[in-house]
Amino acid sequence: MATEPSAPTETVNVLIDGKEHKFPKGTNLLEACQSVGAKIPFFCWHPGLSSPAVCRQCLVDIKGAPKPVPSCYTTVADKMEVTTNSPKVLDVRRQMLEFTLLNHPIDCPVCDKAGECSLQRHYFDWDGMRARNEGDKVHKGKVIDIGKHIVLDQERCILCTRCIRVCNEVAKSPDLTMAFRGSHEVLTTAPGQRLDNPYSLNTVDVCPVGALTSKDFRFSRRAWELYSTPSVCPGCATGCNVEIHTSRDKIRRLVPRENLAVNKFWMCDEGRFEYKAVHENRVLLAAANGRRVTFETALLEAANLLRTDLSSTPDSVGVVFSAQATNEDNHALLRLAVDGLKIQRVYAGGLPLGGSDTILVSADKNPNTTGLERMVPPPVRTLKDLASDLATGHLTTVIVLGHETMAVPATTPVALIVLATHKGPLVDAARVVLPIAAWAEVDGSFTNKDGRVQRLHAAIPCTGEVVPGWRALALLAGQFGGELGYTSAGDVFAEATQRHAFMKGATWGPPSPPVQLRFGESRG
Amino acid sequence: MSADAPLQLESRRRIVFGESDISDFDDDKDLPTESMPLMMGPSHPAMHGTVRIALEVEGEKIKTADIQIGYLHRCFEKEAEYATWTQIFPYTDRLNYVSPMLNNVGYAIAVEKLLDIEDKIPERAQYIRVIVGEISRITDHLTCLAAGAMELGAFTVFFYLIKAREWLWELLEEVSGARLTHSYVRIGGVVADLPAGWPPKLLDILAKTRTALSDADKLLTRNKIFRDRMDGVGIIAKADVAGWGLTGPVARSTGVAYDVRKDHPYLVYDRLDFEVPVGSTGDNFDRYACRLAEIFQSMRILEQALAKIPEGPFIVDDQRVALPKKRDTYNTIESMIAHFKLIMDGLHVPPGEIYSFTEGGNGELGFYIVSNGEGRPWKCRVRPPCFANLAVLTKVLPGLFIADVVPTFGMINMIGGECDR
Repeated sequence: MATEPSAPTETVNVLIDGKEHKFPKGTNLLEACQSVGAKIPFFCWHPGLSSPAVCRQCLVDIKGAPKPVPSCYTTVADKMEVTTNSPKVLDVRRQMLEFTLLNHPIDCPVCDKAGECSLQRHYFDWDGMRARNEGDKVHKGKVIDIGKHIVLDQERCILCTRCIRVCNEVAKSPDLTMAFRGSHEVLTTAPGQRLDNPYSLNTVDVCPVGALTSKDFRFSRRAWELYSTPSVCPGCATGCNVEIHTSRDKIRRLVPRENLAVNKFWMCDEGRFEYKAVHENRVLLAAANGRRVTFETALLEAANLLRTDLSSTPDSVGVVFSAQATNEDNHALLRLAVDGLKIQRVYAGGLPLGGSDTILVSADKNPNTTGLERMVPPPVRTLKDLASDLATGHLTTVIVLGHETMAVPATTPVALIVLATHKGPLVDAARVVLPIAAWAEVDGSFTNKDGRVQRLHAAIPCTGEVVPGWRALALLAGQFGGELGYTSAGDVFAEATQRHAFMKGATWGPPSPPVQLRFGESRG
Repeated sequence: MSADAPLQLESRRRIVFGESDISDFDDDKDLPTESMPLMMGPSHPAMHGTVRIALEVEGEKIKTADIQIGYLHRCFEKEAEYATWTQIFPYTDRLNYVSPMLNNVGYAIAVEKLLDIEDKIPERAQYIRVIVGEISRITDHLTCLAAGAMELGAFTVFFYLIKAREWLWELLEEVSGARLTHSYVRIGGVVADLPAGWPPKLLDILAKTRTALSDADKLLTRNKIFRDRMDGVGIIAKADVAGWGLTGPVARSTGVAYDVRKDHPYLVYDRLDFEVPVGSTGDNFDRYACRLAEIFQSMRILEQALAKIPEGPFIVDDQRVALPKKRDTYNTIESMIAHFKLIMDGLHVPPGEIYSFTEGGNGELGFYIVSNGEGRPWKCRVRPPCFANLAVLTKVLPGLFIADVVPTFGMINMIGGECDR
């Protein structure tokens, strides 16, 4: 970033805390200081937003300036001499923080943000002074329902205006504003208006304190009890990078993870609720012919069905890949069905198109359409073809990877072998059901609409008889004597990178087990 | 079958009662001497349930001794990496569990050095630490002497001394709220002031303890049975002290006058007048005598400390280190945040490493701590004094009789909680 000046850019020399550094002209001083390891606190500045310089926490001394200067609002200049930690600067920041704390309610024990709160953090890291005021605090509105997903507490607000800028600059929907002045200044919506834009929950993420809280997450877990796992949102083809926050093997919320090439710092509200489905309506046990059987029996039954039909009427056997499944699952299915069993009728499954916008949301509601399209050999039939083939009786046996929303009649003569995550009409009509893991339970990868292969990490363990899709497929391959030789998702990935051009050069990366937020770098 | 086999059988049948025909017994042939493994412990009353000494004996004589520890491993060092700096105090209580205050103090001093607030600790807190620490040292030595005597059959002494130990523990209970697991010390001071009216009680108990010690002394020091088993047994050479890393009464019994309180004074020990008793031969009796003398020195320290202790705060006035008062916590946001962060995140210790050591009950108790700036240590290693002190037994025991293991091991005063951690 700031430390890598590209050739044509003009660079400037800046002296930061006695050491000289080079930066490209126009670099933000706060970012420049951060990039060389100088620690500066801030509330209102955010790397993805404009700088209003209202919190006065990032003040630094610049030689020649009559008073401390907000570094977030200053660009570097040649021969600038900056001191980020002079006694004067530290004292001024402390005094500004004292003003901020003056009317702050004593809410930490009941505040949802406690534990990941910037105000707590900066006070503890930079201040530590005792209170000097004796008077009553100014009281403002509490528990104000300002939007579909959001509750506002005006007392806790430190007036940094980050949320206002998120609405203006990211969501392009100016819903929030400041009203009144001085110690009576409050954050509010226009009369009769609500904070209902599709990116509203980003205001909760950027809020340095607990003024804006998510109705969904509110009071469900304390922040420090959560474990964080990096992953990718499965909501659409954009593939926003997210952190999955879990506790006691349940997902409690999704928050965006910085990736400047994909989603920057943001994600849509819809994506945040993708986690709910992981815990709802799941297929946990294997079944065959409508009865609960062991996983092994189900595998045996599936193999028998396939064997019979492949020997008698090979053209009536089909396989359905899924744009909802990971590259690994689709690749394992490719190896089993196309390479191993030589099935000719290949279908591509996935959710139908939905709404989109120009910010992040894609119309394609599948996270891995690109991966599927580039992986499966033509001719690829669509789900519409599948429906007509099922109706006309072209098919006798079909292997379906994870697509539960597919419309099938409740009683169909076709033998459906379904590797399912969720219950649905497809599972009800299936001859054999093998329970497989959902996106948050597996290590794997999705390929987003730009062809970017992105890693998922398992945030919660599989329950019941659930196994990752690639493993179920490897086990099924074992029934035909064709071992795929996978022991981990990484093996499948490695094989896939050898075979598919679009995955060439992609690396699996190090393992990233859940980190407790209490001990990991606190989000505050 | 060889030809002379029946003959041998015949010769063995010839047993003469009353007078034996010596010429019949060939020592090498009929009673071959073979060394025998003998496991002392871990379930042996004199092994305190926490150690096994694998002996190789020839008759009653010890040929080799292998000290096997690990029966009380509590994962202290790993647990410490998952607890905030303050949450580690209860774990230190359980290191040397007969003198928990000394462990509390040792750990607190290490963290304070890392925080660079050593010189900000209020003087009263330092005196309180000396007082509770020296009481703990007395209880530590009393336990060692009492158990050591009991294991040699002197049960009366055990009762006298354990009774005295109980009086002292009751005093510490009054100070900390817990008889044994005090968790009384905090980073920056101690958790509460001494209770009102406590110092006179201490002086009273010290007088009673003196009587108990005098009784025990009369029963032991000139007791032939006791002296026969202690004198000249388990001699540790002065030259071995440095090589084996011996400290505390074990080192001092050999004549090495190393005491952290004197050689590297901490707290207010340099302002108190006391002596370091040393032995001469390094045998079990010297260790007994050193401990006995040290108890009287600790009493001297206590009396001086009680006379000199100033009024004032008992913990530093920095709410980023010590918890703010509840009144402030509930009424000001500043103290609320500080309280919250101290409890949830732990105090922020700047990145760095430190080896800090104090005089524990058994010798040099060291803490090697590495911080990476988080609210918990990145590494918290303990240098337990009795780990080194115990190891030397592998050199000392060979040549002694099996019965000598008991007093020799007893005078080392190995405490499993500290040795194994």
